[in-house]
Amino acid sequence: MKPKKMAVTTILAAVLFTGLPFVVDSESSYLVFFLFVTFINITVVQGWNLVGGYAGQVSLGQHAFFGLGAYITAITWLRGFGGYFDPLAMILSGLGAAILAIGVGIPLLSKLRGDYFALGTLGLGEILRVMFTQGGTLTGGSVGLLLPSGVYESMKPYYFVSLGLAAFATLAVYFVVKSHTGMALIATRDDEIAAETTGVDTLKYKVLAFSVGAFITGLGGSLQAYYLFHIHPAGFFSLKWALYPILMSLMGGAGTIFGPILGAFFLTGVFELVNIWLPEAHPIFSGGLIVAVMLFLPNGLIRLRLKRSFSKKGERKEVK
Amino acid sequence: MPGFLSFHSLSQILINGLLFGTMYGIAAIGVSLIFGTMQIIFIAQGAMIVLAAYLTFWLFSLFFLDPFLSIFFIVPAFLLLGGGLYQVLFRKVAYAGKNPSLLIAFGFMIMLENLMSLLWTPNTRAIKTSYTAYGIEMFGLQVSFTRMVAFFLAILATIVVTFFLKKTLMGKAVRAASEDLGAATMIGIGTHWVNSTTFSIGIGLAGLAGVATAMTFPFDPYFGFIFSLKALIAVAFGGIGSVWGALVGGILLGVIESLGFYLLSGVWADGISYVVFLLVLMLKPEGLFSGFKRIA
Repeated sequence: MKPKKMAVTTILAAVLFTGLPFVVDSESSYLVFFLFVTFINITVVQGWNLVGGYAGQVSLGQHAFFGLGAYITAITWLRGFGGYFDPLAMILSGLGAAILAIGVGIPLLSKLRGDYFALGTLGLGEILRVMFTQGGTLTGGSVGLLLPSGVYESMKPYYFVSLGLAAFATLAVYFVVKSHTGMALIATRDDEIAAETTGVDTLKYKVLAFSVGAFITGLGGSLQAYYLFHIHPAGFFSLKWALYPILMSLMGGAGTIFGPILGAFFLTGVFELVNIWLPEAHPIFSGGLIVAVMLFLPNGLIRLRLKRSFSKKGERKEVK
Repeated sequence: MPGFLSFHSLSQILINGLLFGTMYGIAAIGVSLIFGTMQIIFIAQGAMIVLAAYLTFWLFSLFFLDPFLSIFFIVPAFLLLGGGLYQVLFRKVAYAGKNPSLLIAFGFMIMLENLMSLLWTPNTRAIKTSYTAYGIEMFGLQVSFTRMVAFFLAILATIVVTFFLKKTLMGKAVRAASEDLGAATMIGIGTHWVNSTTFSIGIGLAGLAGVATAMTFPFDPYFGFIFSLKALIAVAFGGIGSVWGALVGGILLGVIESLGFYLLSGVWADGISYVVFLLVLMLKPEGLFSGFKRIA
């Protein structure tokens, strides 16, 4: 998209989404709920997009960061350090996830083979689920933690915080990508050895992308914790939170700013519809959709219009 | 309380781990072979194993077919299925980088798991034959008959696969392609054909592992993902691309788990195998026995 058109679209979207809860009744409107879900999805999708789409490192363990963020929020609240919509607790949730990402990312990403990273992150999510299931009174075991849900007043704060998070995630990815770091990430993705040869410290940038992505995902987990008031390992360390970001990102176009947003809107809509009409077929459908997208639409929806397709070898081209 | 570990109970734990680990071993050989030629992590291997287990269960409860006999139906069917899967799902993206094929395998796994759960309900199933409870007493140790048979089936399958890779022309082509894809193409080896063959063998082994699983352990539709993870751990132990390494890695994992299960509680034991997995990936990703040759 051209910068001017992009700016106009962004401002229009911002005005539209900010004004919406004042126009419709936010407590009963399905639209507000739908947008809330979509914004959380956009947040975690952008978290994956930075590391998977731009840095080219497929993380299969975003649910580890999502769950960790949710648990940090819940535990700080129950122990009296945080509270309802405490910005400090939310930042702490993101930071916890980012620190975990740095700790795991350095050894896993220092190998040139991306597969080790994919496998290791998958293992990470499973380890965290076991740890939090076994965490005793601190994590509440498999039942999880119950937060005081009496503080719930209105849907409005959820809507605005989710909108804010989605905007923050998108802007964070935008600024990282526009900077020197973004160039290094894309160079690493397209040809890691060549990037290394030209003096790019690939490990540093990969870990950076991974931890920023984890920070964003942790924030998303934190908000979800405030919304559900019940944090349990099966729900928050569910593979769904690893799967959806990948799917939405690829569907819209990984490695672009707007593609993942498009993918999040589209797939959240599809999933909500499937959930209503065919709840038991939902996971079959999303699994099949990944396969179909990769086979028939490997560049994502957004690149259909841009007509920039795979180069001969199949690497993605940067789309400005 | 596991404070005291006698020689007898230690050997019993080791034997159980060994027998359990061979299951991981056969699953791991398939994963390792597919990775060796195609650089694909076929994460749906476990789901295929569970599919074979369900088919065995189905043949047993509807047609009263003995699980041992169902090997002769399921393994050939899975050999064919493997080639078909490659042609339908992976041929198109085989050389488009590894992310598309990884994600296709992931999506396929989710689809398969939930399809099985829809078709056969998410309840845990197990096969009870007249000889399921039968045990053999060896050197004062209790060994389950079906697990013993599964163990020998695994060894036999590994020998057959090694023989195939070493002695047949097809096997040599597979080894050549996994060693150097470019050079193999240059001397006229059709890479799609080689990939299709490895997929056949890998899925065929999944069929065998599935029958063995159905005979020896209770299973449910979502058991496959854990199985895949365990197979990957075994591959990481054994070094990617090595057949015997995968089998030994699987057995090692079985023993570690069995010890962990005895010394700690059940769920923690699961966590321990993931921790060991992460440590191996971080510290020695070329495998614990990296002196071994790459294939076979």
